[in-house]
Amino acid sequence: MLNALRRHASLVVIFLIAVTAGLATLQLRGTEAFMAALWHGWDLFLFIVPSLVAGLLLAAALRQLLSPDALARLMGAESGIFGLFIATLVGTLSPGGPMAAFPLVLVLAGAGADRGALVAFILAWSLNGFQKLLVYEAPLLGLDFALLRTLITFPMPIIAGWLARRVPITWEPPK
Amino acid sequence: MSGPQIILWVIALVVLAVCMRRGMPQARRAVAETNRGFWRILPMFCVALPMAAFLSELVPADIATAWLGDDSGLNGIMIASLAGGIMPGGPFVTFPLVITFSKAGAGVAQMTALLTAWSVYALHRILTWEYPVLGWRFVAMRLASSFFLPVLAGLIMQALLPFFTINLAAP
Repeated sequence: MLNALRRHASLVVIFLIAVTAGLATLQLRGTEAFMAALWHGWDLFLFIVPSLVAGLLLAAALRQLLSPDALARLMGAESGIFGLFIATLVGTLSPGGPMAAFPLVLVLAGAGADRGALVAFILAWSLNGFQKLLVYEAPLLGLDFALLRTLITFPMPIIAGWLARRVPITWEPPK
Repeated sequence: MSGPQIILWVIALVVLAVCMRRGMPQARRAVAETNRGFWRILPMFCVALPMAAFLSELVPADIATAWLGDDSGLNGIMIASLAGGIMPGGPFVTFPLVITFSKAGAGVAQMTALLTAWSVYALHRILTWEYPVLGWRFVAMRLASSFFLPVLAGLIMQALLPFFTINLAAP
């Protein structure tokens, strides 16, 4: 029981916030507003699900085709801007939360990706990850904003990776 | 289905077809993974979407205008960057909050900075993942090469805003 709670901590927290906010809406804004909010949530759900399933399928199918080893060979210290671009693309397409992304960073590092590529990968995953974009940003904030913001931040991991190769801080990948 | 959704489906099916050419076991694994991922995410949806809807119903309008409004400019962008950097929690918390802030009067450029900072600084993620897995030197190196990105994103968005109509409070 306690273990299950710990594993689903964020789910439980969100659930409690949702229930509290729901009760407060019912109390302060009335039944009509409560039902309208629920309906709005359901609408969003129907809007998101097709993109979500397609996004998950794309990520899963890509994972079958690409091996981290082969990718990391394209991201070495001599790979230049092209390597940073590949790292950015891979980061953008990497689904899942930090428990999926950080182990992948270690795999890429072990297979020869350099520090610039790793920085670009992490930033691309967290800034422009397609899953976050499809599941949350586009449905909640609107497609126009999501696309414009992504367009603005898409090149940023490449810039940061380029800088990371020049920052005078020594770092060795963990063994 | 909307245009972007159709494009996404076409791309996904093309990649799946490539998988099939490589061999059926791989294609089957891809479908199985999709199925698992969907059921893992579904519960989060069922609570996060009502939460967002209720919160945006509750927040009074215009309480964030002075600090984070469209006219707060660079100051507002910097405040938003700080706030985004220390905001804990996953996307299911952050995006509903951005709607909530927007309803309360926050500007689009400021919210762009907030979202970028939440992704770039991510204090909670540094403490729970990046530092333990990659070490302080990596964290320092990454921050040294990316600390300016949230403010930059906010300023670029501010420069582009006159050409678009974006309303985050009612998408």
